[in-house]
Amino acid sequence: MNDPGAPLAAGDRIELRFPARGDLVVLARLVTSAVATRAGFDVEELEDLRLAVGELCLLALQGSDARHGDLRLELTLLGDGVAITCSLERASTTGDTEPSADEMEAAHLSEQILTALVDEHGRQSEDGAVRAWLRKRRRELAG
Amino acid sequence: MDQEFHIEERPGATAPVIAVQGEVDVATAPQLRECLQRVIADGWSTVVLDLLGVTFLDSTALGVIVGAHKRCRELGGELRVVVADPRLVKIFEITGLTGVLTITDSLHAAGAP
Repeated sequence: MNDPGAPLAAGDRIELRFPARGDLVVLARLVTSAVATRAGFDVEELEDLRLAVGELCLLALQGSDARHGDLRLELTLLGDGVAITCSLERASTTGDTEPSADEMEAAHLSEQILTALVDEHGRQSEDGAVRAWLRKRRRELAG
Repeated sequence: MDQEFHIEERPGATAPVIAVQGEVDVATAPQLRECLQRVIADGWSTVVLDLLGVTFLDSTALGVIVGAHKRCRELGGELRVVVADPRLVKIFEITGLTGVLTITDSLHAAGAP
């Protein structure tokens, strides 16, 4: 990059792929912080996005045996904010495994956090591929 | 630079204090769960969880805290959560846990000077 401090603009897209391990979810948070800063989000919104993207990764990992899979994070700058997707790839799903009480509690809390912090979010699972997504508008534009 | 994750157990006047530092997330929450389970299994029904040194919490960490709170209540005690950082307090608020957990902003208020 010519200017490391240059802002990101609508249409810019950043991708990150990493092994689907809990100790690496911090990478998704770090990249999201950097992108949100350059996309014009304020400090509070940046913190919201940092938390939300971690929850997005957890949503993508739910009910999966991700020891051999990858998480792919894709951040797309929009005119009014950012769209983020987190996809679990190359992992086997274990849909027949009952989640523990703690896991069910955490999933419920994760849903509450995302509902509070972002404008839209969702999760899709099809043929073993899981994709969780969110969209957050900048406060100055959210009305 | 984020503080490294660390857990320290301290004796308290009426309840043990578990002091946590750093980021508590899907990677580190299992260590907190193990620590809380061990202290409760040792016979303590009331535990003070000091989060004053915590810089980040996710839903996994909250799930561990809620689980420990439930176990303490079953034993007739409570889990007293000490948290002051507005960013972290906000997470407890948006998940409705401020109405469920005993949350204070100082160790003194939690009975653990």
